[in-house]
Amino acid sequence: MISREEVLNLANLSKLYLDEEEIENIRKEMDSMINFANEINSLDAKCEKLPEINNISNAFREDEIVESYPQEEILKNVDGGREGFFYIKKSN
Amino acid sequence: MKYDLVVGLETHVELLTKTKIFCSCANKFGSEPNTNCCPVCLGFPGTLPKLNREVVNFAIKAAIALNCEVNLLSKMDRKNYVYPDLSKAYQISQFYEPICKNGYIMLDSGKKIRINHIHMEEDAAKLVYKNGDTYVDYNRGGVPLLEVVTEPDISSSDEAREYIEKLQMIMRYIGVSDCRMQEGSIKCDVNVSVKPEGSDKLGTRTEIKNMNSVTFMTKAIDYERDRHIDLIESGEKVVQQTMRYIEATNSTESMRSKEDAQDYRYFRDPDLVDIILTNEEIEKIKKTLPELPDSRFKRYVNDLEISEKDAALLVKYKNVSDYFENASVNLKIPKTVANFIVGQIFRTIETEAEKEKFEILTTPEQLNEMVGLIESGKLTMNLAKKAFSKMLESGKPVTEFVSESDMQGIPPEEIEKMCKEAIESNPNAVKDYLSGKEKALKALLGSVMRQTRGRGNAGEIEEKLKELIK
Ligand SMILES: [Zn+2]
Repeated sequence: MISREEVLNLANLSKLYLDEEEIENIRKEMDSMINFANEINSLDAKCEKLPEINNISNAFREDEIVESYPQEEILKNVDGGREGFFYIKKSN
Repeated sequence: MKYDLVVGLETHVELLTKTKIFCSCANKFGSEPNTNCCPVCLGFPGTLPKLNREVVNFAIKAAIALNCEVNLLSKMDRKNYVYPDLSKAYQISQFYEPICKNGYIMLDSGKKIRINHIHMEEDAAKLVYKNGDTYVDYNRGGVPLLEVVTEPDISSSDEAREYIEKLQMIMRYIGVSDCRMQEGSIKCDVNVSVKPEGSDKLGTRTEIKNMNSVTFMTKAIDYERDRHIDLIESGEKVVQQTMRYIEATNSTESMRSKEDAQDYRYFRDPDLVDIILTNEEIEKIKKTLPELPDSRFKRYVNDLEISEKDAALLVKYKNVSDYFENASVNLKIPKTVANFIVGQIFRTIETEAEKEKFEILTTPEQLNEMVGLIESGKLTMNLAKKAFSKMLESGKPVTEFVSESDMQGIPPEEIEKMCKEAIESNPNAVKDYLSGKEKALKALLGSVMRQTRGRGNAGEIEEKLKELIK
């Protein structure tokens, strides 16, 4: 099972603060996710030819400017921001 | 004990593409905040980044110019970290399969600074701090970068400076970046360690982040070297950590230590597909590259007999070098053109930024015409220099400042007469010259030159004077 330290490390990297109960819950949830993903390993993948799931390459875009969004639109989700910027108040 | 300094550089170069790396917003410096933005570069969920083909082309150009191999298959990865300059909480970069590897930049000493790899990535947003609060401008978010990563081959702050200056020069020549430190279009992270002289084992390194001035970078390297040596000498250990350079005190301070070192959990970005290149495409791009500064420098010194000092001044900025090339077309002695650029044009230009732009009124064709007249013997160097000053001020051609009679020269009998007069009226100078004082001849020469109002050919007159005195 995924360790308590691993959960704390991931939480720290993601700037999440978890209490004891949450840590235990997340350990269980992550475990079931990992087990689910591990099921792939149990498959017999020795078929003749694997289906090409990633046969697309070079999906490029030409270097041509398209008009950007208006500033008001960009800042709409943050109550308009401040002086045209996203604004983050100093935390105490 | 003596120590060797070991430095590696990771340099971020902002590319001069028209648009950002994964969306069609303008890649422009100095706009109003958050006006070159869209849901893709703001990292909204559900948006799909699409790679700008020009970024790939620029990376290939850089690879060729920096003697790298181009990886025919490369991929984009996610670098995960949480910070307000990155709303997606991951930066799209290249980690497992970067686009270029194994290159080098050669220093003047002949030493090669090896380049481990070059990868493409997006820049993060710009943070502005005011009264402890943070203001975020996403115009820079998604601007394309190339990160050029060296091996730890640099062994002094001077070598680091030369490496960066060469990198800037090459990037400008190939037109992928303007590399302006003060605008942040080139930045570097510096890895520093020391080891006992001659030892094979590398010491513990520290990394100084975000240097955006070559001068401060060299100071930071020297400071960090001394700090490491002091620690070792006093029996302490260098702690592997990330440092910040403080300009005001010329010192470094810790940003974060190894304990909370970043764990970026890189993985393949599932939104972006493989980049597959062919040798034919690479060859095609190679053909579009201009002659690189090193090659120009060698040609100027070896074939055109320009001094190393002047050749270095000419190649430093592509605009200057191109001007020299254009002004030298079909001339016998291009060195004369070089002398006018270094001697007279540079005197009218104050700053490095102006040299880089090299916007001057006289066209290369006008300088070419004037030097052509010198070469055909119609114009003396003396008159040309005077005329050229006026040309530079006005942008008018040489014919505006020298008359037909100036260009006809002075008949030899006239010259002889003037020389005789000078000799007769300066008996002391003649005596001095005959007693071995070579310099005394200059006084006579000067007097004749004044007589000709600068139209005479100094070499011819000098010969004539010597002939007459004997
Ligand atoms: Zn955008």
